[in-house]
Amino acid sequence: MIEWGSFVAVFLASLVSACVAVTLFSLGLRLADGAARWRRPVSVLMFALCGLAVLFGLYVIVGDHLITIFTR
Amino acid sequence: MDPLILVALVIALALFFDFTNGFHDTANAMATPIATGALKPKVAVAIAAVLNLVGAFLSTEVAKTISGGLIKEGDDGVQITPVLILAGLIGAIVWNLVTWLLGLPSSSSHALFGGLIGATIVGAGLAAIDGSVLVSKILIPAVLAPLTAGVVSFLATKIAFAITRKRERDGFKKGQIFTSSLVSLAHGTNDAQKTMGVITLTLIAAGFQEPGSGPEFWVITSCAIAIAAGTYSGGWRIIRTMGRGITEVEPAQGFAAEAATTATILASSHLGFALSTTQVASGSVIGTGIGRKGASVRWRTAGRIGLGWLITIPAAGAVGALAAFIASFGTWGIIIDVALAVTAITGIFLWSRRSQVDHRNLHQPEPGVFVRPKRRKARR
Repeated sequence: MIEWGSFVAVFLASLVSACVAVTLFSLGLRLADGAARWRRPVSVLMFALCGLAVLFGLYVIVGDHLITIFTR
Repeated sequence: MDPLILVALVIALALFFDFTNGFHDTANAMATPIATGALKPKVAVAIAAVLNLVGAFLSTEVAKTISGGLIKEGDDGVQITPVLILAGLIGAIVWNLVTWLLGLPSSSSHALFGGLIGATIVGAGLAAIDGSVLVSKILIPAVLAPLTAGVVSFLATKIAFAITRKRERDGFKKGQIFTSSLVSLAHGTNDAQKTMGVITLTLIAAGFQEPGSGPEFWVITSCAIAIAAGTYSGGWRIIRTMGRGITEVEPAQGFAAEAATTATILASSHLGFALSTTQVASGSVIGTGIGRKGASVRWRTAGRIGLGWLITIPAAGAVGALAAFIASFGTWGIIIDVALAVTAITGIFLWSRRSQVDHRNLHQPEPGVFVRPKRRKARR
């Protein structure tokens, strides 16, 4: 039987993570474009948070494998 | 036939299938960065190849059954023989090459499953196929994958266009490099495993390896090299379809689509509901086409892709069944099978040369072409 609960979890996780990453990167671009002094550090913060999201994605892909390799 | 020669033939075909899997799926990760000009075509496929190679070595979980439960394997069901695997691989390879020739992004996993199902029906009967697994693991996910990715990509595109202004959107190209790299790495960790599983189970079935043991290092290395070489060779026809054929992709859309593809693949492989990478990537491109105001989706192309998905399992199955039927005549049958497969592969490659598509004739936009400042109307 099809596991609808797992499907809903996949859908929600995909939706939230993709939208958060795109929002952070878009805000980073938007805030980098302007003269006010406060915009640049906030823009860098947004890119950094987006970078953390990418690193988390990397951890999800390779984390388990690396743990297995190093604990052999 | 000498078991060693048969196993060598299966390994050679499995590695060639891995190669076709690589070039068939390069587009999943690299079609949109190439379409937006975020990466030069050759650079994009080189990055994808390296990450597929690395990903193949990182995988430790090799599929315990070749068919993922579709065929009732093991003690209670059918004992899959190297001959049936050979026939299934021929079906998968031929169908992968036909869809590549037509520029259709279809699932390599479905082609492999289809080939094995067809070969098994001829070799062991229809009862050997688990229909409920076919519906729950293949057919329903095939509908849900593009829908999920399409909705996620649609919303992500809306967000990207709502937050940024036109002149800022070229910046998305840098983001695309990271998201597409993640898709490539995830592809390497998943897809090279299938071939490792096929080769390992063939070696076990022929008595060359202990039952229950994992893949040998040479198997991992050869599969990693085969998928990386396939990825590097491009699959430019499918890249052209996904990058330009479905919709015109701008950098913001490319980033949104890649983010949706990455998020959906990672979520699906870690929350226990496996979705096809190809179907997710295609759904994302369609979703981003609908999400941008003024963009249009070429539904005729999208329909052709959908039709390709529908007939992948039956078509690969038909070729696999024919190959299994011919192989049932013994050694000469297997020799004829291999000869026909080589002829079909050569024929498709020669046919493809009539209208060659490679990195040189892929249209790439000039830098900054998407960012056109609005012209003020001249005052009268």
